[in-house]
Amino acid sequence: MFNYKKKAALMSALLFASGAALADYPEKPITLIVGFSAGGGTDVMARNVAPFVEKYLGNDASIVVKNMPGASGQIGITEVAHSDPDGYTLGTYNLPGMMARTLDREAKYSADSFTFLANIVSDPNVIVTSKKTGITSVKELIDAAQKAPGSITVGMSSLGGDDHLGLTKFQSLTDTKFTIIPFKGSSAARTAILGGHVAAGVLNVSEVAAFKDELNVIGVAKATRSEFAPNVKTFKEQGVEFYNGALRGFVAPAGLPADVELKLLEAFSKAASDPEMLAKMKATANPVEASIGLDFKNLNNELYDLAKQAWETTPWK
Amino acid sequence: MYMDLISALPSVLSFDNFFAIVIGVLSGIAVGAMPGLSATMAISVLVPFTFGLDPLVALGLMAGIYNGAMYGGAIPAVLLRIPGTPAAVATSFDGYPMAQSGRGGFALQVAVVSSAIGGIASALALMLLAPPLAKVTLLFGPAEVFWIAVFGLCSIIFLLGESPIKGLISACFGIFVSMVGADPITSEDRFTFGQLELLDGINMVILLVGLYAMPPVIDLLEQPLDTKEAGKALKTESLLRSFPRMFHFWKTWLRSSLIGIWIGILPGAGGSMAAFMSYNEARRASSNPDEWGKGEPEGVAASETANNADTASALIPALTLGIPGTAVAAVMLGGLLVHGLQPGPMLFRDNPDIVFGFMWQFLFGAILLIFLGGSLATNSFAHLLKLPRPVLGAIIIVLMFIGVYSINGRMFDVYLMLGFGLIGYVMDKFKFPLPPVVLGLILGGFAEENLRLTLLIGQGQWSSLFANTTSLVLVAMTIAVVVGPMIKRRVVKARKSES
Repeated sequence: MFNYKKKAALMSALLFASGAALADYPEKPITLIVGFSAGGGTDVMARNVAPFVEKYLGNDASIVVKNMPGASGQIGITEVAHSDPDGYTLGTYNLPGMMARTLDREAKYSADSFTFLANIVSDPNVIVTSKKTGITSVKELIDAAQKAPGSITVGMSSLGGDDHLGLTKFQSLTDTKFTIIPFKGSSAARTAILGGHVAAGVLNVSEVAAFKDELNVIGVAKATRSEFAPNVKTFKEQGVEFYNGALRGFVAPAGLPADVELKLLEAFSKAASDPEMLAKMKATANPVEASIGLDFKNLNNELYDLAKQAWETTPWK
Repeated sequence: MYMDLISALPSVLSFDNFFAIVIGVLSGIAVGAMPGLSATMAISVLVPFTFGLDPLVALGLMAGIYNGAMYGGAIPAVLLRIPGTPAAVATSFDGYPMAQSGRGGFALQVAVVSSAIGGIASALALMLLAPPLAKVTLLFGPAEVFWIAVFGLCSIIFLLGESPIKGLISACFGIFVSMVGADPITSEDRFTFGQLELLDGINMVILLVGLYAMPPVIDLLEQPLDTKEAGKALKTESLLRSFPRMFHFWKTWLRSSLIGIWIGILPGAGGSMAAFMSYNEARRASSNPDEWGKGEPEGVAASETANNADTASALIPALTLGIPGTAVAAVMLGGLLVHGLQPGPMLFRDNPDIVFGFMWQFLFGAILLIFLGGSLATNSFAHLLKLPRPVLGAIIIVLMFIGVYSINGRMFDVYLMLGFGLIGYVMDKFKFPLPPVVLGLILGGFAEENLRLTLLIGQGQWSSLFANTTSLVLVAMTIAVVVGPMIKRRVVKARKSES
């Protein structure tokens, strides 16, 4: 009973405190931690979106980007997870990477460490083949892989990333087996495919948009066609229900005051549909597909389960 | 395409854009001249600020910094035996002995002229040959790149120094350092002791600053206070008068430019490897190889030409294929992306004004180097030497801390640098050569990753390492570079005994 009273008192105190915060938030600069170096894909997204979030937060809000690169974003996101949940520290968040790291590495955070604000970018996977292979459709790829399992080499940016988990999914969907070749980064993988050193590759649509004539892009793992490659058929159109991609969004530490969270969600939600921001994102090859708050959280859990399943059936290290 | 090149010129010559190059070159020289601050770092600091700038202004700054820093690194390498950037290590071999014998001014003039020539050659290669050279890059898959690394390691055997055993120990130390971090294929942690900061491996600049800057700084501090002799170490005369004395370097300039361009278009190796290889080649071609390492101006010319010749050429694969040839090119790609310029074949069609403008900027940056680097910068840095040695040492230590801290914004790297500093000091005292450590770090990781990729692609078949002509040519070159000098020595010996 006493405990209950104490809790109630605490709650009302918190509500009061946050009530005050609502009127003023943000009253000082907000730090946005980017777990990658300046000029990388995630950084460019963060710096493009930030001014619009500032605009819709009002109150002369200012967002300061702080790059904390290292360990594929793990250093930055760990810092976010352990920051004060006061709304003055936000972070960029990548899927499935951030969740996959909690499986294949010791991580000092989990899905419960965050308040999920908004996912902004969804960059669907594509499967490409080298011109030398002559494979131009999903059916031809599946046939070739089934005829000689493991004979087709598939380049990708690394193990445990969206392209690796995507291929794992594709293999189980189509009952095929490929030889996985993890390069250091997707541009190295793409070059090896261009040169015909590996037969095929899993990349993202934004990474192949400029190479449409040099590679066979055989399918995009999205429900509808991508505006970055409108001539490329989806996997669904070719009879395989394969959807996967890389997501980039924003989180805050768990336990934000409810009204601060509300204000941030509102600002991100408005920013995500601002036409000027959409144009900027298109110019920097960031396919926007926003999901805000709870939708983002559900998406995260969905991808976590998928990664977990892949990790348990075919651990990559 | 050549029409696009010409129509891009006017906008480059507008005041804003040209001024950006000038500022870039000047700040590049300053950044390069400070041990610990590198072009990679300067450009990555710059990238966030360029969001609001006109693309050509931003790119002009970057092109200027890149060119300037590649020369700037030579200044402390010559004057203090502290290479300002990784690429200037080979410059210190002959530059420092020259400064010791009172020819530091000439050494710097050779460096600036050679840097400019290398830069111009590289910019021309980028402007005129980018698309065909990009096709060459595509020939190099993991197997070929592995052989490049092996060739690189073999061709610089001379770096082992007087005692090959000590040299090999140094090289092994470098290769060991390259193994720290996530495994390149499986991402398994190696030698990280649970430190997230070590997962990406050890940054080259951290190792270089610790190893190369610490021992000379401690030397500076150990020596008794004496300001008289330091001031007169640098005698400069007009570049117009010293230039004719450099004409006979033309062969070295040509050879080193080609080596630099070649290394630049291959992903991963970068300026330091270009400088080492061209130094070695120039030394082999020289009529008096014994003078090298004791103050041969041609050594400075070879190293400086090559490390500037890989600047623009590193952008050939970066712009056409999205794979950066060097770390600096990688950061520059980020700078392009910020302005919505996606690398790839479409870039040349969609944004010719900016792409070709960027190429012009590289050319102008290289030319400006002579005017800005020659008199202005060199003389002002020469004044630095007049500082009392303890003050100079202290300033350098501060710069080392700032530079290393700012790579990732964390103190961990500074402690790591201090640890390498201690190792470097001990190695220096016991006469272990330092260059093999740097090369071990660069090429060791490079060789490992590509060997494993080759074997993965070849399903574990060792024969996949010899599967195509390019690989075989590289194997033959490697054998030649190892066996060649041995045969030569035999022949010379045999002739001597005959006569």
